[in-house]
Formats: sequence, structure tokens, C-alpha cells
Amino acid sequence: MNVRAEHIDQQPATYRRRVYRAFRQNKLALWSLRILYFFLFIAVFSDFLANDKPLYCQLEGKTYFPVLKSYGVELGIDRWPGDLGIANWYKLEYDNDRVVWPLIPYAAKTIDLKNNQYRSPFGPQRVESMRFWHWMGTDEIGHDIAAGMISGTRTAMLVGVVAMSIATLIGIFFGALAGFWGDDRLRVSRLRLILNVLAFPIVIFYGFIARSYAFAEGHLGWELLKSIVLIVLVYGLVNLVSKWLESRKVVRKNIVVPLDLWIMRFIEIVNSVPTLLLLLSVVSILSGESIFYIMVIIGLIRWTGIARFIRAELLKVKRLQYIEAAQALGMSQLRILWRHAIPNALTPVLITISFGIAGAILLEAFFSFLGIGIGSEVTWGSILSTARRYPAAWWLALLPGSAIFITVTIFNLIGDGLSEAMNPKGK
Amino acid sequence: MLNYLLKRLGILGLTLFVVSLLAFGLSKLAPGDPVERLPQSELGNLQQKKESYRRAAKMLGLDKPAFYFSVHPAAYPDTLYRFINYYERQTLKNLVGQYGNWEKIEAYWKEIYVMERQIEALPDSLDRNSIIKLRTNTTDLFVFYKDNRIQAALERMQKALENEALANAIKPAFERLKQKYEAVITQPETYRLYLPSFSWYGFDNQYHNWFWNFIRGDFGYSLENGQKIEEKMWSRLRWTLLINGITLVLVFFLAIPIGVYTSVYQNTMADRLTTLGLFMLYSLPSFWVATMLIVFFTTPEYGMNWFPTYGLGNLSEEASWWQLFLDRAYHLILPIFCLTYGSLAFVARQMRGGMIDVSHQDYIRTARAKGLSERVVIWKHSFRNALFPIITLVASIFPAVLSGSVVIEVIFSIPGMGKLTIDAIYAKDWPVVFAILMLSAFMTMIGILVADLLYALADPRVSFQKKNQ
Repeated sequence: MNVRAEHIDQQPATYRRRVYRAFRQNKLALWSLRILYFFLFIAVFSDFLANDKPLYCQLEGKTYFPVLKSYGVELGIDRWPGDLGIANWYKLEYDNDRVVWPLIPYAAKTIDLKNNQYRSPFGPQRVESMRFWHWMGTDEIGHDIAAGMISGTRTAMLVGVVAMSIATLIGIFFGALAGFWGDDRLRVSRLRLILNVLAFPIVIFYGFIARSYAFAEGHLGWELLKSIVLIVLVYGLVNLVSKWLESRKVVRKNIVVPLDLWIMRFIEIVNSVPTLLLLLSVVSILSGESIFYIMVIIGLIRWTGIARFIRAELLKVKRLQYIEAAQALGMSQLRILWRHAIPNALTPVLITISFGIAGAILLEAFFSFLGIGIGSEVTWGSILSTARRYPAAWWLALLPGSAIFITVTIFNLIGDGLSEAMNPKGK
Repeated sequence: MLNYLLKRLGILGLTLFVVSLLAFGLSKLAPGDPVERLPQSELGNLQQKKESYRRAAKMLGLDKPAFYFSVHPAAYPDTLYRFINYYERQTLKNLVGQYGNWEKIEAYWKEIYVMERQIEALPDSLDRNSIIKLRTNTTDLFVFYKDNRIQAALERMQKALENEALANAIKPAFERLKQKYEAVITQPETYRLYLPSFSWYGFDNQYHNWFWNFIRGDFGYSLENGQKIEEKMWSRLRWTLLINGITLVLVFFLAIPIGVYTSVYQNTMADRLTTLGLFMLYSLPSFWVATMLIVFFTTPEYGMNWFPTYGLGNLSEEASWWQLFLDRAYHLILPIFCLTYGSLAFVARQMRGGMIDVSHQDYIRTARAKGLSERVVIWKHSFRNALFPIITLVASIFPAVLSGSVVIEVIFSIPGMGKLTIDAIYAKDWPVVFAILMLSAFMTMIGILVADLLYALADPRVSFQKKNQ
């Protein structure tokens, strides 16, 4: 046996390491994690796995890496020489056949006119060689389904990660406010409270109302960013002023703000909003420029679970001795919260995040299945929805559906595994 | 208890208010002119058309100010809502947003009206082509707000006015129009865009009327055909209620026994298999299952054409009720299956978990120790305390009546509320969408309230004091 490994094992286990060890005992969850790594790999390298351009080729004595190069072109730091930008890469004459195609030599939106009208993976296909075989068949127009599945993997992972990152940030913010300060620990001077409340209409007016023309004409994201900067500046200024006034002892009286109560009420209200219908109407009004809106809106609605979890954890953590010790050492509240309380509350939140990602991916699939709110993106849901048009194309129903099912299941299993690893007594 | 109930009702009222604001705000954000979508007469002259538009806008309640009050930059007039035409209003807003001098803009706008009327009154004997050119360019002025486009339109009009007979008739009006526009762009007052201004409109506003009509059961008009929304809903509600009702009954009668028995025979082979099966069912997205069922069991491709594909069948109403019933039931088997399995798996899993948790409690051991039969222990002591998941399900039924079966109704073409929602979204029939959104918020709240009360009934220990954990 490896002496070194044994030595490490005997080290006093941190909480996180203990949880990880318990998690590894759960075979189902561990395999789910491995499948997830595989999916993430596909998502990150999707352009190199399925593309209508070669990975490497030689043209007229020059070497090209077209897939890599197209990234540069998209970023605007590179250019296609000659008319390569509009070239059909399948028809080019490569020097001595020096060309390496990606695993799937099609992009999700490539139209293979020779193989339209639902070619089965097992049926006859009109391809030059097996290298160009449509391993998962094609749809009515001639899209390669394997490439579509890879593009769908990227969308699903992106939706899960982005939506839940937004939800996590909002959730941590509100949960930490509620849990750490509770109902009686946030004391502010009356002046600061009044100034903060007064700043609200000002910020709304100058941030949004007065800039409505700019919002309508300019780029939405950019204008939004400007407004947010303005809001942050105004609030920063207000609080600096009140801090200065407080330090000059202009104001004496402190008020206790029942932050926990307010935030919990707020969460209750958000929770009783009918999520699905709200999402449906918001997404259809934004008229589906991109999948990005769906992610943001899911994130904006699905944060309450995380906030509640963080709050409960912080209520527990804050009674622990080391927090009291930090307080006794004279650390500031914010520093204790940020450096000590939140990191310890974060591990259990992984459970909620994991289930949340499963839910977000399912919602995205649901939306693209209905064709609401996605542009021309090829996703699992959009492939699945084409299956109803032509029942004989079983691959259109079976493959994307299984992908959705597997992804949702692995995230649920990981969530289950984490929750068992963290509460060993629970079972 | 009463105190608690009142508090809950307060929160629910607040939520309804928030959702109504959201829905109303979204309806204002929705692109396009709702009035234009209503069927209206295309005949008549300019005045008659404008009158018909006004009537349609009035029917939708759009001739009122939007909200009780408005906070806006001082540059905007508080009477903008009186411009009844959606596009005119948008253009005016954009003009003010650029120049901030409302008086000048209003004068310019009036000149466009004058121009429009004078062109309408021109005798047909004049050059038709030039008249059409003038007319289209004047109409364009109602939607143009960028300087270069307005200038281009004015120039085109100038060119059309090279025709002498035309010039004699309306040249003065055109010169005035040009002058007024010149004034708009040369004397901007952009500082007024940064001065806040507040105006109070009173209770006769769009939001107020919409909300109170909603409470009274008047949901307004569908844009598609001008039909009352509630009439449209009634016929749909029937099917949604039917399939959700059957689903609910099935879930109860299957999930409770499955949950209880798997917990009693915990860790046996049968339990493990059932639990795994339930987990799989729970993770299966219903729209996938529905698609698979349609692909494999409703088409002759795979030799398993056992069920009808879409809709509710087309038996005539003269068929005997028994035949009708059989036909409908035959059509509803697949949709109801798709709706059932998910909740079934969820409730059974929760039920099993709850029963197992309860079975470790001291009072269960006591009950066994005092010699009660296993049957009594399970059903009377454990079951009652494991009821919570069932209550959660009951609460979720209320909103599900409206939106729970969206995707299944769409896939199987069942004319229920869910299909109505999606059809309305595809058709951009916003009043219907927002009426459904409001209704479903209402139902969600009733569900939560009912669940709270049932929790209290099932377990008197549930305290309605504020919990710390």
C-alpha cells in the first residue's frame, strides 16, 4: 500500500473532504458525475467535434486550421484569405488529400441536400464514404442529427450553468442578508435608512425612465450596464455621505431593520408567482432573439430555493464558535460574512444548485420543444419537436429525448448523492 | 389561527397585486399595436377609418391613461395618452426623447394633420401619381422620428409639389409643415428630459379598469376575433378539468398504496425495483414520453397502431352517449397516462420517504409495543403522519388546472386551457395570455392557502408562529 496515501488519509478531514469521500461511496452518483464530465467535454469542444470545416487541411501549399481560424474571424482578429470565407469546404481540392475532418463532419445547420427527407442511421444514405455517414440520421431538410445533438449539448449545459449561476448569485445575496443579519442584527442610523429609501425613486428615474429613448434605440445590454453603473454609483455615494455624517456624530439614533422578515416575505411572493406561465409570456414577448433571455429569466425566478438554503445554513453557522471567535477578535461583520460564514454555507447549496440545473435544462428543452423563445438555435428540444411531423423517423424522437432524460437524471442523481453525503443520518 | 389566516391573505393579496402589475407591464411592453389586430372596417374615408380605430381602441380600454399616476421627464406632456393611435404615440415619444421641446413638436404634429386633411380633400382631377406620393409620405411622417428619414420624406414631398396645380392647392400647408419641423430640430430643450415630473390621473385608468373587471370576471376581448375571453375559456376549461380530475384520482389511488407498501416491505427486492422504477419515471420528461407514445403507438410504421393520434375523435353528436363516452375515453388514454406517471412517481416516492421517516419515531415503537396490529400501526399512526406530500400535491392541483397540462394538451391536440395558452402565444393574442397568467396566479394562491390549512389539519403541531429554522 502507498504509504503517502495512507498518511494523507489520516489527516484530520475537513468537512468538504469528508463529504467528497462519502459522495464517492455512492456509485450511482459517481457515475453520474463522470457522465457529466463527458457532457461538459462535448459542450466545450463542440465546434471541434462537429463542424462543416476541416480541423486541418492543406490548400495550394498552405496549411490551415479552419475550425480554429473561424474563432479568430468571429472575434475580428483574423480574416479568411481569398474567398475561403464563403467556400464550400466539402468541394475544395486539398493537396494530396491532406485534410482532417472533425469526428462529425457536419455543423448543426449544415444542409446535406443529397440526404434530406429523413435518412435513417441504418438506411441507405448517399455519401461519398463512411467518413461522411450520418450516424444519427437526418431530418426533413437534411440536417445531420449527430451534429444537432452536439450543439444541443452545448446549449443545455450553457443554460444550466448560466441560469443557475445567476440564481446562485441572487440567492446568496438575499440568503446571506436574511440569514446573517436576521431580524435584529442590522442596525443602521435613521439618516442612512431615509437616504437609501429616498435614493430609490431617483435611481429609477435617472436609470430607466429618463433613459427610455436610449433603451429603445441603443443596444439593450450596453444601456442596461450603464444604468446599473449609475445605480451603483448613486447608492455608493448615498452610503458614503451617510457614513461621513455618522462619523461626525451628526446622527445618534439607530434603527433595527428586520431584514430577515422582509426578505422571507419577498421570497414568499416570488414563490407564488406562476413560474411557467410568467416565463412563457415574458419569453414570447421578448420574441426570442436568443437563448440568452431564457437563461436570464430562469435565473431571475429560480433563486428562492438557494436563498432559503443559504439562510438556513447561515442561521446554523452563525451560532458556531469560530464565528463568535471572529467577532471577539473585532472583525467587521462583512468580513466575517464573506470570509468565514458563506464559504461554510456554500457546500450544502450544491445540492440545490444540482437539482436547479436539472430543472433549468428541462425548462429550456420544454421551451424549444414548443418553439417559443429560441431563435434558430438547434437544441434537443427543437429536434424532438420535429419528430411529430414524421413518425417513421424514430431517431428524431429517441435520441434527443434520451439526451434530455440522461442529463436531467444525472443532475438529480448527483443532487441525491450530495444530499446523502452531507446528511449521512438522513437515510 | 385566525391571525395567521389574515396574514396569509394579506401576503396573497400583495402577490396578486404584484403579478397583476407584472402582467400589465408586460402587456404594455408587448410589441405591436393591439387595436390594429381587431377586425375593423376597411371602408370609408379618412375620418371614418379614424373613428373606427377609435371605437376599437375604446373597446380595449386603451383610450385612458395607463396607470394611476406617472413619473416622467418634464419634457413629456401628461396628455400623451390622448393620441389614440399607437404608432403616433410611439413616434411622439421618440421625438420628445430626442429634442425635449413638446410645444414645438405638437405644432409640427398639428401641421401633419392639416396636411393629411388637405391631401384628402384634393380633387381627383389632379395628377394621381403625385397625390399618392404626397399621401404615402405624409403617412410616413406619422412613424418617422429620425432626422434623416423625416428630411428625406419632406424632400420627396417637395419633389411631388413640382406639379404646379398641386402646388397651388397645398404649398402653403407644406411650407408651414417644413417650418415647424425646422423649429423642432433647431430649438431643442433637452435639459427638460432630466427634470422629473409627476402627474396624477385618478382611478379611471387602464390598469384600474382591467384589474377590477378581472376581479368581476370580465377578462376583456381576444384580439383574434374580438370574442370575450371568458367565453373563449369556458368551453376549454371543461376538457382541462376533466383530464386533470381523472389524473388526480388515478394518482391518489395508485400512489398511496404503492408508497405505503414499498415502505412496509422496505429493502426487499420488490421495493428496490419499484423505487428504481419510480425514480426513472420521475425523471422522464413528459413531453418526451408523449412524443414517443405518439411515434410508436399511434402510427402504422411499427405495427403498433393501437391508439388514435390527435384530438378527441370526430363522432357526430348523434352517436349514443355510450359510444361517445367510449370514443372519448379511447382518445384520452395516452394523454392521461402522460399526465399521471410523473405525479404518481413523485407522490409515491415522497410517501415512501415520509412513511420510512415516521416509522423510526418513538410513538410508532410504542404503538407496536402496546400490541396494536400492524395494520392499525401503519394506517392509523404512520400514514396520518406521512400525509404531507399528498397535501403538497393537492395544492399543486389548483394551478395545474390551468397550466399543468400545457405540453400534453399541445402534443395531443386537446382543446383545453393549456392549448389555448400556447395558441394565444403563437397568435400574439396578449389579452388572453395575460388573463390566463392572472388566473393562474390566483389559482396558485388558492392552492397555497388550501395546503396551509390542510397542513394544520393533518398535524396540529404545525405552528404558525415564525420559525427560526
